[in-house]
Amino acid sequence: MLHAKIIDVTKEKIDLAKAQKFIASSKCGASIYFVGTVRDQNNDKKVTGITYDSHDALVIKSFKEIYNEAETKFKFKNIAVFIEHIKGYVELGETSIIIAVACKHRSQAYEFSRYVIEEIKKRTPIWKKEHYEGEDSKWLKGNPLIDQNQLK
Amino acid sequence: MKIKLELFGASRDFSKKDYLEFNLKERSSIKDLRHEILNFVENNFKGNDNYKKLVQSSAFCSEENNIVSDNYKITKEQNIGIIPPIGGG
Repeated sequence: MLHAKIIDVTKEKIDLAKAQKFIASSKCGASIYFVGTVRDQNNDKKVTGITYDSHDALVIKSFKEIYNEAETKFKFKNIAVFIEHIKGYVELGETSIIIAVACKHRSQAYEFSRYVIEEIKKRTPIWKKEHYEGEDSKWLKGNPLIDQNQLK
Repeated sequence: MKIKLELFGASRDFSKKDYLEFNLKERSSIKDLRHEILNFVENNFKGNDNYKKLVQSSAFCSEENNIVSDNYKITKEQNIGIIPPIGGG
């Protein structure tokens, strides 16, 4: 069971209580909440906030693919996964992503949650523009989604 | 054939709008579109090397929300998304 959504920061915020409600089940003995927040430093620069950009349709498609792959890979039964990612300007300490996972056992919840966040980092079309104190804002470099060899 | 290129991530710096428009020949490919965007960078940003690298390392997304290769033929007027290297989460 999966809930996947992009949250437009100008309209709403990521709400931990919604995640708790979604994954609650008497079939699950373990719940893991991964919460990503904006921190105040990166590469020795003082960060004041981050603007997140996303290709919404591709992001949701990617979340579903990652969930389906993890289901196939781990073969855990009765899993509930709640993924929300923010879009727009986020201040220090605010939540940018939440991945809530409920499974029968704790080892399963840890494994599943870790797989989901690492795959999102690798291949979900979300971009970050960091804002700094006293410096111009900058889009962060990332992973290309194409094989560079095809261009040669 | 008019193609609306939707901008994401660092490619948003290419325009104050969230898209660019290109006129391509019928049955052009993504490779041709990439070439047109590189020409745009050459003409509007004096061949800014970082922008050129960005275009060269970007993927493209069809109107059906599929990542498409350089050989993909664009058979109708449509929106195409440019997908720069991703760094999210």
